[in-house]
Amino acid sequence: MLDKIRRKYDVVVVGGGPGGMGAALGARDSGAERVLILDREPEVGGILLQCIHSGFGLHYFREELTGPEYAERFLEKVIQDDVDLATNSYVSGIAIDSNGTKQVRVMNEQHGLFTVDTKSVVLSMGCRERTRGSIRIPGTRPSGVLTAGLAQKLVNLEGYLPGKRIAVLGSGDIGLIMARRLTLEGCEVVGVFEIMPYSNGLTRNVVQCLDDFGIPLHLSTMVAYIYGRDRIEKITVAPVEKDFKPDMSRARDVKCDTLLLSIGLIPENELSQSLGIHLDVITGGPRVSSTLETSMPGVFACGNVLHVHDLVDFVTQESILAGQFAAEWSRGIQRPMDNIRLVPGDNVHYCLPHTLSPEREHTIYMRCKEALKPCRIRVGNLMEKKLRFVVPAEMIMFKIKPDLLEKFYGDTLRIDLVPDTQGENDG
Amino acid sequence: MVKSEQFLCIGCPIGCPLQLQHKGGKITEVSGHECNRGAKYARQEFTDPRRSLSTTVAISGAKGTRLPVKVTEPVEKDRVTEVVRKIHELDIAAPVRLGQVLIHDLLGEENVNVVACRSMERVGSG
Repeated sequence: MLDKIRRKYDVVVVGGGPGGMGAALGARDSGAERVLILDREPEVGGILLQCIHSGFGLHYFREELTGPEYAERFLEKVIQDDVDLATNSYVSGIAIDSNGTKQVRVMNEQHGLFTVDTKSVVLSMGCRERTRGSIRIPGTRPSGVLTAGLAQKLVNLEGYLPGKRIAVLGSGDIGLIMARRLTLEGCEVVGVFEIMPYSNGLTRNVVQCLDDFGIPLHLSTMVAYIYGRDRIEKITVAPVEKDFKPDMSRARDVKCDTLLLSIGLIPENELSQSLGIHLDVITGGPRVSSTLETSMPGVFACGNVLHVHDLVDFVTQESILAGQFAAEWSRGIQRPMDNIRLVPGDNVHYCLPHTLSPEREHTIYMRCKEALKPCRIRVGNLMEKKLRFVVPAEMIMFKIKPDLLEKFYGDTLRIDLVPDTQGENDG
Repeated sequence: MVKSEQFLCIGCPIGCPLQLQHKGGKITEVSGHECNRGAKYARQEFTDPRRSLSTTVAISGAKGTRLPVKVTEPVEKDRVTEVVRKIHELDIAAPVRLGQVLIHDLLGEENVNVVACRSMERVGSG
């Protein structure tokens, strides 16, 4: 890595994963002269580097790539575009002075503690995994209980196996992918236990990561207890009833030396919070305008720190935009203020951005609460769009054209997902 | 005699349950699919199921100790474990370039190669 750091920047990007690299490229593309990516890891690429399976890039590159391949393609562009990179560099805080300049406080081995000045900042710190503490599994506290992503790092980057006999709690995609990965590395995966009556991962992963290897998926089942003094020895699993309470009369013990947790992701927003940025309680990420600007002027956010995406291609798309807006801001270009609030309605878990402007086209990102098939997206009384299906695991994305908003005189636009009763047969 | 096979479609998150009827290895009917991708998938799964395959191999002289690699074409489903074992025998010395071919014509099939999924520079002595 280059590790060249100047004193002053137009745009500083915090986090060098796919979001950060996309933002840096977007910023350079929109005329920011000096752009810096800061990352706390030894190299940029973020979580892509440990995602060695394929399935990345189908939308953006129109070919199926592995995570490291996707990351390297972007790294090459970032280097070509003269973006400065500082790895092993931890951002400990950001201060904003009276004329709006941001002072990013950074720590690394080479320079100690220092600050860089920048006109705008893009936050792209990504997300982290929920741990045992988030769901409070009763039992002892032995070693061998770890998140699926940590196991992925140990296996794929460091070459260690976390154990030999593995149980997986939660059917998120990382958990499913690790079930296959560990099987191929010679471990025995005794089962995947999911509290919901359906899998949280893609069907593709259930088929190719579990069914192909005869790994059982136990739905509506929870881990009720963890046993073991130094190392985990067994778990008690129990079917759950409608209220998600375990039916202990049907509980059984499963021997294992490792329990992987694949129970969801949380945007990593400690830095945003220290800046006093307003967060959305549903997404866990900053509230953003249509330019992906947070409540702090000149501070933008993109990628999984904003909301957890299911495809990296969409992170790239979103972060290029965030970088472009950050560059415009650094050049003093002020867009008209948004004057329309976008709010989630029926069966909408969340929708982004939080505000819109009639000035230009918008890409809306949203997630449903419950699966519906077929259905329609209704945007106020402005537009309706048919969808074959919606499921919580898949982000919904659509565009709102500016001419539509010109005819809108209210201040709040509500998005609903409603069943499509006429469209029953037109798949 | 007509026999039946079940598949779960992976084309999209709907995950249609597919049924395929066959007689003496010849497909007579596919049902359960909501779109053509499902029918195509069931036929492929019945006649020649394949999986894309990636893993890591040992690398020395680089910053890390594992190099991610992949097979450039999907591998027959029943041979996945065998192929992974074979790939794991590799021991690579850095430097390596993204896309560099590490095994030519795997399984004796032409143009089915094992390639590096990232570049890794040589570090330290040498």
